Amino acid sequence: MKPGASVVDLAAAFEASPNPYLLLTPDLRIAEVNQAYVEVTGARREEILGRPLFTTFDAGPGEDAPENVRQVRASLEKARDTRQRDHLAVVRYAMPRKLSDGQEVFEERIWSATHTPLLNAEGDVVLLLQHTIDITDLWPAIRPDEPTTALDALVGGSVLRRAQSVQEDNRRLESERNRLVEMFMQAPGFVAILTGRNHCFQMHNDAYSQLIGHRDIAGKSIRDALPELVGQGYYEFLDTVFETGEPYEGRESLAKLQRTPGGPLETLYLNFIYQPIRDEAGAVVGIFVQGHDVTANVLATQRQKLMIDELNHRVKNTLATVQSIAIQTARSHIDPATFAATFQSRILALSHTHDLLTRTHWEGADLRAILEHETEAFGPTRINLNGPATALPPATALSLGMIFHELATNAAKYGALSTPDGRVLIDWSLADQRDRKLKLVWREIGGPKVTQPDRRGFGSRLIERNIRHDLAGEIDLVYASDGLIAELTVPLDRTPAP
Amino acid sequence: MTQPLNGRRILVVEDESLVAMLLETILEDMECIPVGPASNIDDGEAMARDTVDLDAALLDVNVAGRQVFPVAEALKARGVPFVFSTGYGEGGLPEEWRGAITIQKPFTEAAVRDALMKVMGVAQV
Repeated sequence: MKPGASVVDLAAAFEASPNPYLLLTPDLRIAEVNQAYVEVTGARREEILGRPLFTTFDAGPGEDAPENVRQVRASLEKARDTRQRDHLAVVRYAMPRKLSDGQEVFEERIWSATHTPLLNAEGDVVLLLQHTIDITDLWPAIRPDEPTTALDALVGGSVLRRAQSVQEDNRRLESERNRLVEMFMQAPGFVAILTGRNHCFQMHNDAYSQLIGHRDIAGKSIRDALPELVGQGYYEFLDTVFETGEPYEGRESLAKLQRTPGGPLETLYLNFIYQPIRDEAGAVVGIFVQGHDVTANVLATQRQKLMIDELNHRVKNTLATVQSIAIQTARSHIDPATFAATFQSRILALSHTHDLLTRTHWEGADLRAILEHETEAFGPTRINLNGPATALPPATALSLGMIFHELATNAAKYGALSTPDGRVLIDWSLADQRDRKLKLVWREIGGPKVTQPDRRGFGSRLIERNIRHDLAGEIDLVYASDGLIAELTVPLDRTPAP
Repeated sequence: MTQPLNGRRILVVEDESLVAMLLETILEDMECIPVGPASNIDDGEAMARDTVDLDAALLDVNVAGRQVFPVAEALKARGVPFVFSTGYGEGGLPEEWRGAITIQKPFTEAAVRDALMKVMGVAQV
């Protein structure tokens, strides 16, 4: 026998106690009752052992019965789940009673109950002890037909009523607390409560779980729970809040978190606040964490800035291009009227290629569509287009659009399109499927005799420079006696530099 | 009257031929000698390194999708001054190049001349 252990037979004492006792398994089945319990309930021990409590005693058919059952069940479950004793100062619970003629009726009774969890060495709940006292006789209101003494009214009435009112307050507070916990859990932002200077997770809601990939962090310190945050500054912010008691607010704060087990670190942007929690003496005992994942907003803003920068770059480059066209056109056109016409037609050629590209969201433009546009003024009988469908990348489309415009303008002024019978044959093909090259021949026939110009104008300089400089291609301008031949080769699959 | 930048050899790095032609025209009007133009970073770097006589350079920041800074490094290494040209303005330059002399597209002849004189330390006349 262990030192200090009682020599009293506890089982006999349990059985002999005048107080009704009930022992329940954690799943609320009747494990044992004492004699007083048998007497007060009128039940037969062998009929009720092992049965679920609430099917054995179901509080009868009364209107309040479900609520009464609920109260007792809630108290038992609370005692079991919190491993703390729970009191029900006053609870109504009807009990069956056999009348003398053998008929069973339910009789309204009022009880006061205490539910005590019995723990094993590991601290697990093995049994629940219910200690009940029938206080029906102390409760005058229930039997208005029976005379009450002044003492009854004093003891039973006011004390019990106060007890019941305290209990109702507790129940109300409990349900409010549950509602708050529910709100905390369901809050769209992430919320966690950290305790102690090691910042251990006391509570965290669903959004927080989602943020950290549903890891089991309950009770762990932040450094153990979220080890990937080392070096990201968050541990230190928490330490500072704990030490100084000053809240810390993070805006669009970058965090790298592991959101799937064994997965890579994901970059997130968070708005959050670390708010110190103080005890009654004002000392910081924990930190309230609350915030939102604003990654989508931050990325959208970054994308928008990139797009605006890119747009600015393109607009300014286009303006510089137009400026160049204006200045160079002005040098070869002293007459303002011819300057305006030539300048305008060049700008319109550029603009038209932009239109073609816009239709495909700047993915490319079809070669034939560009050629058709630049030559449509001369009619289909004078222009012969022959070649496969060829999608041109945007930069190539813009360059070739200007080049064909210059060739067509030149042909109309000095070449085959300057006479009624001249024609232009345009043939193209694609060589080398892997590293595609466009080979195009612009051949003018039936026009006036041509000779090499003694001075290269802006048009021919633009053509050559554009092909070589912008497109890394080749061009050969041959001033054959029966018409100009332009042969150009342009690589189409230049991989953009990284 | 002789232009203040008469005879200076200026490297041009610019991927758009029309813009390059404009710069050449402007440089020729100032009696400079345009070198290049280079239409990509690799050519620009080679010219910045290997061109014997180089007095300054005009560098487009975004050259065919790449940034021109390797060319700027090569020029810096041999002490050749340069001017950035960009649609973004000076704010578009990364931290380490902030404060570099920059001209904004579209540019005027005066802006090109003033920027080149500034980087070469040529006094205004």
